[in-house]
Amino acid sequence: MADKDTDFTELDALLDLARQKEPDLPAGLEQSILADAAAVQAELQQHSRADARSVSRPWWAQVLSLFGGAPALGGLGVACAAGVWVGLAPPAFLPDPLQMFEQVQSSSDVDLFDTHDVVAFLVEE
Amino acid sequence: MSHSQTAPTDDALLVLFANGDPLAARELTRRLAPRALGVATRVLGDRAEAEDITQEVMMRLWRAAPEWQQGQAKVSTWLYRVVMNLCIDRKRRLKHGSVGIEDVPEPVDPALSAAEKLQEHSRWDALQAALMTLSDRQRQAVVLRHIEELSNPDIARIMDISVEAVESLTARGKRALAKALAGQREELGYG
Repeated sequence: MADKDTDFTELDALLDLARQKEPDLPAGLEQSILADAAAVQAELQQHSRADARSVSRPWWAQVLSLFGGAPALGGLGVACAAGVWVGLAPPAFLPDPLQMFEQVQSSSDVDLFDTHDVVAFLVEE
Repeated sequence: MSHSQTAPTDDALLVLFANGDPLAARELTRRLAPRALGVATRVLGDRAEAEDITQEVMMRLWRAAPEWQQGQAKVSTWLYRVVMNLCIDRKRRLKHGSVGIEDVPEPVDPALSAAEKLQEHSRWDALQAALMTLSDRQRQAVVLRHIEELSNPDIARIMDISVEAVESLTARGKRALAKALAGQREELGYG
């Protein structure tokens, strides 16, 4: 480490002096550093506990949480029930869906080909 | 924690810290904080600023612990690098550069006589004053090489420069230090 150049002898002695001792860490600074460490550790432990909780939950609970949890799923169920109810017993100002369904069924009897003409043609042949 | 040969490495202590071991924090603080404080004090010439930087760098270390890649970088190299970057930021913010060296308390050996203590004080002051005459980069390189005794490749990694640039900075820095101290041999008890 030391240079051989004699001009640097005093400098090397000074640098040796500086190397010999690390500064003492003031007690207040050490306490602040350790308090920071404890706070970060507490944060890390909290995160790891939350991660562990999410991993240990059953599959149905994880699916439930995908939909926003029990309250959101409850709302979805109520909306579905209301839709079915409106479908079966509609208010007076709405058309009856059952009647509309029957109309659609009867309209399916439309003869796309004029079968009478076709039969007459085949008989003539 | 003991200092036997089986003492855990800094890397291992960081893993223990991330796993919640409070003793790991204490041991890392004991090992690394005085080094950070020493180098920041030498580079900035301001003890109060150096203490702030020491707390900041240790906080960054705690935050980095969960993501630390074992074996990829030495913790001490990472620490010095962050200290240097924080020192550069501080210097930029301090419009008038360094603060007087009287703000740097010297760790003087309590076993010395009053006269010896006085001389040690004056040597510390002289060295710090001479260090403060260097450019920021020279001072960083000289402190890391000749006081912290790091290797040139480690210093190159810390300062993000080539090994040749480190050699040049330390050589020129040391010459400048010698020149700054040349007239004080007798005052410092080397006459």
